[in-house]
Parts: sequence; C-alpha cells; structure tokens
Amino acid sequence: MNPRWRPYLLGIPGLAIITFPFLWLQLRPNFDTNTVRVAWAPGHGLQFFSDLFPVFVIAFLIWLGVQTNRCLGLSEAATRNPAWQKAGGIWNVSWAWMAMALVLSGPFFMNGSSLDLMTNAGIYMLLALGLNITVGMTGLLVLGYAGFYAFGAYFFALSQQNFSWFPWWMAAPLAFVLGGGIGYLLGLPCLRLRGDYLAIVTLGFAEAFRVLMRNLDASESAPSDSWFQHLLLCLDTNGDKGIILKDSAMFRGFAGLNSGQMSYLITALILFLAVFLVQRLYHSPVGRAWVAIRENEIAAASVGIPVVQMKLLAFSLSAAVAAVAGVIYGAKNGFINPDTCAFQQSIMVLAMVILGGLGNSYGALLGAALLYLVPEYLKLIPTMIQGNSFLSAAVPPFLRDALQHLADYRLLLFGAVMVLMMLYRPQGLLGSSRRKTEMLHT
Amino acid sequence: MTTQTLIEITINGISRGAVYALVALGYTMVYGVLGMINFAHGEIFMIGMFACVYALGIFANAWGDQVLLNLGLAIAVAMIFSAAYGYANERIAYRRLRKAHVLAPLTSAIGISTFLQYFIFLTVSRDTVNFPRYYSDYLTSHHVHIGPAEITYLQLAILGLTLVIMAGLFYLINCTRLGIALRATAQDQLMASLVGIPVNRIIAFTFILGSALAAIAGVMVSMYDNVLVFDAGYRVGLKAFTAAILGGIGNVPGAVLGALILGLTEALTTLQFGSQWNDVTTFVVLMLVLLLRPRGLLGERVADKV
Repeated sequence: MNPRWRPYLLGIPGLAIITFPFLWLQLRPNFDTNTVRVAWAPGHGLQFFSDLFPVFVIAFLIWLGVQTNRCLGLSEAATRNPAWQKAGGIWNVSWAWMAMALVLSGPFFMNGSSLDLMTNAGIYMLLALGLNITVGMTGLLVLGYAGFYAFGAYFFALSQQNFSWFPWWMAAPLAFVLGGGIGYLLGLPCLRLRGDYLAIVTLGFAEAFRVLMRNLDASESAPSDSWFQHLLLCLDTNGDKGIILKDSAMFRGFAGLNSGQMSYLITALILFLAVFLVQRLYHSPVGRAWVAIRENEIAAASVGIPVVQMKLLAFSLSAAVAAVAGVIYGAKNGFINPDTCAFQQSIMVLAMVILGGLGNSYGALLGAALLYLVPEYLKLIPTMIQGNSFLSAAVPPFLRDALQHLADYRLLLFGAVMVLMMLYRPQGLLGSSRRKTEMLHT
Repeated sequence: MTTQTLIEITINGISRGAVYALVALGYTMVYGVLGMINFAHGEIFMIGMFACVYALGIFANAWGDQVLLNLGLAIAVAMIFSAAYGYANERIAYRRLRKAHVLAPLTSAIGISTFLQYFIFLTVSRDTVNFPRYYSDYLTSHHVHIGPAEITYLQLAILGLTLVIMAGLFYLINCTRLGIALRATAQDQLMASLVGIPVNRIIAFTFILGSALAAIAGVMVSMYDNVLVFDAGYRVGLKAFTAAILGGIGNVPGAVLGALILGLTEALTTLQFGSQWNDVTTFVVLMLVLLLRPRGLLGERVADKV
C-alpha cells in the first residue's frame, strides 16, 4: 500500500471516533430533576452531512480539476505559450479599464437585490484589501480586524447623532485618520515584540470594543447631572439594539439614480481608488520593505529597513482602510449594532485574504467575491428551482434544504478553507510559486 | 468594604484565576516548546465542557445518577476527548507546517478553532446548554466558613485540584526524564533529536497534556457558571492568554501567577463596575503589560531573537 495513505487510514477512523458523540448523539436535558440523558439521534448527523453535500460536490470537482491539470500539465502548457506570456497574464492595463467600465455600468443592468449584494461584496473587498496589507504583504496576523471596521461605523453613527449635518464624505477621511491613529496606538506596544502578539491584541481590541459598545447604553444608567452622564449621552450607542441612522445620513439618490445605485457606485469608486493606491504602494520602496520584512525580518533589519516603523505603517494603513469601510457600511445600511465587530466578521475577512492569495491585492478581491457571493447565490437557487416545474421534480428535496441551510455552515467552511489552504496551497488561489516556497520553507 | 466582602472577593478571584491558570498552562507550555501560540486551545477547552456533559448523559443512561462516580468518570472522559482533539490539532495544523513561515501554522490553527466552534454550534446547540445542576448542586450548595465569609465546596475543589496539578506539573517538568526531554526540546529541537529525544512525540505530548488540563478547567467553569456555549472557548482563551503574557509566556509558574492576578482583577471589576466590563479590564491589563513589562512578571526577554 502507498505509505502516503497511512495517516489517513488511522486519522479518519480516529476523527470519526472523537466526533461521534457530537454528531450522532443528542443531549436530552431534564429541567425538573436538573439531570441530563443522551439519546441516539442518527438523523442529526445525517442532516449535518446532507447539508454539506453541495460542498462535497464542489470539493470533488476542484479535486478532479487539480488532478486533470496535474496529469495533462495544462497550466504549464498555458504559461509556456508565447501568446499568453506576451499578454502578460490577464491583468494588462486595457483589461483593467474594461473591467472598471463593466463594474461601473453595473447599476444600469442589475436589479435592486443584486446591486445590494454587490455593494456588500464591495465593502468586503475593501476590507480584504486592507487586511491584505498587514497579513499578506507584511506577514503579520491580525485577528480582530472587524474591530476597526466597527470603529469606523460607530464613529460615523455617533458623530451623526451629535452633529446631524455631518455627511459621510467628511466622515470617511476623518475615519481614515482616526482609524489609522488607533491602529498606530495598538500596534505600538506589540509590534516591538513578537509578531504573533499583534494577533491577540487585535482580537482583544475587537472584543473589548464590542463590549464597550454594548455597555454604553444611556437608557440603562441612572440619570444624574455629572459630566460623566453628559459624556455618556454623547456616546450613547443604544447597547445591543444598535443605532439606526437618519435617512439624511445615508447615501442618497442623485441625478436620476436611486440610493441603492448611488451606494453601489460610491463603493465601487472608493474600491478602485483603494486598489490603485495599494498597488502603487506595493510597488514602491515601502511595499518592497514590507515584502522584505515578511520574507526575513532579520535580513530586512540588517539592510537598514526600519522594521518596527514599517510594520506600524502597514498596520495603521490596514486599520484606516477598515474604518473607511465601516463608514461606508454605516452610510449604506443605516443600522449598526455591536455584532459588526464580532469575531465571525474578522474570521470571514481573514479567510477571504487567505483564499485569494496572501500578498496579492487582486487575490484578496477574488477571495472576498467568492466567499461572500457564492453562499449568497447558492441560497437563491432553491427559490429558482421552485419556479421551474421540471427542476423541482428533478432536484431531490434534501439538496434543496442543503442549499438553503448552507449559509449557516459558512463559518465552519471558512475554518476548513483556512486549514486546507495552508496545507495544500499556502500561496492562495492567485499566488505565485515564489510565495509558496516562502510560506513552506523558511 | 467589609472583611466579609474582602474575603469573598479574594476567594472568587482566586478560584476564577485558578481556572484561567489551567488554561494558561496549555498556552504557555506549547509556546515554550514550539515558540508559537496555540490559537485553537480555547476551543479544546470548550470541547472539554461539552464532552463532560455528554459523558454525564451516557453514564446516567447506563446506571443512573450517581453524583460523585459519574462526575469523576465524566471528567476523565472530558480529559481524554480534549486530549484527542489537542492531538488532532497538532497533527493537522502544526506538524506539517512546523518549518513554514510563522503565519502558516497560526492561520491553520485559527482555522481549526473556527471549525470546532461552528462544528459544536451546528451539531450540539446554537444556544446555551445548561450544565446538569443535579451534579453541581452538591458542590455549590455546601459551604465552608472562613470567618464571616462562605466558600463553596466547588471553589475548594477548584483550588485543591489546581494546587495538585501544579505540584504534579512541577514534578513532571523538573524531576522526570520526560521533563528533561521536554525542556531539551524547548531549547533546541535539532539538538534534542540528535541526542535521541523523539521530538515529534514530545511536542504531541505537550499538546495532549495542555489539552487535558484545559478539559479540567472546562468542567470546572461549566459547573461554576452552569452554562455551556459554543464560543466559550474564545473568551476564556483570550483571558488565559492574557494571563500567560502577564506572567511571562513560556514560563510555567508565571502563567499561574498571571492567572491569579487576572482573576483578582476581574473579581474587583465585577464588584466595582459590574461583570459586563470584565472583558474590557482584561484587554486593559493586556495592553498595560505589553506597554510596561512586555516580558511579563517572571519571563525572560521576549523580543525576537536575532
């Protein structure tokens, strides 16, 4: 037998044993006696696997594609083709202009709900782009990225509450500066130390910020006339219920376009600006310094790169981009609650960056688009099937349920994506082989 | 503040801290051996909580509700399960990526952590699960009096168990062949393997030991708070990590000291401002430590070695 398979031969039964109680048994608490019983519930585990069925199919197709590619050598043949090399891949300048034109013409051929999805995808793309500066380019892990995102959103909402004239286009640059400042302050103590401290500190920041926003609820504290009370009234986040913004604060329709179309266009323009700036930065001496730090910090320091300052710059820029994304989110949705900075959001953005390709801006955009849009569109398939009599007869009901439930399984899959990408394709979907060697052998 | 509240706050803080210490030990041991944070450790703790309740249910099915017997066996089962998950975590997320860029194992560990959280979320419960109070009532309703204050049996049990475990761990690390191998691996993996120490097994053992301790902490916390929830590991993990840094990461007595200080700080916060501010205090402590004494109370220099 091939020794490659041996770990799987022992590992898969092992995993089956340790996941057995959680999958195939069910807790039956008895609230009268405060005891608990366990019941055999095979339906439970079957439900879990049948809900994941579409994922298994997609994974199998990907595996098949990889195997065919490996046997036939398709990708190598394509890169050896002179015509392909001359075109410089697909990201040639004229292609970029065409893609931009296509994206900007979106409002004229998409309906409202698609536009809404696309705007959300654009916000995630902006976040992935920002996180990519720290995680991908500089090689520092950030786990509480949504904290900065929520900071931007709450900054906008709270300033709206106090100064109702304050428009989003003034809030966005201010959020950029303030978000960057917060990133700087957070990074300062921990970037002097080991890189992985940053991960924990940002995680703690996101959690502390969430708790702070939940607890700054003026309606629950006793009224008094102290300065503290006045401060609290200015910072009233309405706790768990969240803040609802006034219509005047949100993106408004303009020149025949409705507000949905406007928010799509504004998001797209800011995204283009961000992509352009990040790409320029990446190819500048600063970007080179980041890559050098990522590849070997000691070597980078010894050729005179100010390592700590460069790391701080990367991290504050990331934080600033997230704060701007937060302002856009607030102005688009008009509703903000403490869950904006939940751990799940941070993980989602991190998974997007990792899937797309660490250190590759287009990869981050691709990852964000895939991880946000694919589950959203898969969710729409069952309603489509119901409208079609032939399909509704052909598609078994468990598959329809599975597609509907897939959104719940999103974070489970993101976790799996992160592990699998690190093990099998650490450079991400759009990564280079250079990145791969770098990730696997240091 | 009266003497009674003072004693009660101290006892509450120390028993909280003792639980954090058990989790922090897992972080600090893995860090000492691998030089990396085990991000999935909090989820191993959470698996311990749930495995214990499942085991209680299975034993109750088999021979009825015998409090002490079932509880003891359930703790053992929880330890075995957590250890198995810890081992799986090491095999999947760490072993193959040990020579890779530090980002790779950290990311895969975060992946494992998210996966486990949502695995429990989807298969066990999306909401909180109550710990069967029938088993913990015996421990929480009986008191010992110290002066004017009362200490529950559970708090005594937590303190006693933690003390015994600390002593055992101290003996293991300092006085046994295994402990020597562990310290050798922590110093230099290549050299350790050259003198015949099975480095892979030692690292796996570190993960297993840390996970088993986390399971004990998980059972204690679920008895103390009476609720289990799928993201409990992430909160406690954050606190235990702060404790490990406070004491000096990689340093075993430091982790215990840091955890006790953090537990006391939390008890004081709860008294002064209310328990909803605990997470903020933890974060403030973490930032202050990193600013003022980044190597921790008992640790050596942690800035990157050149």
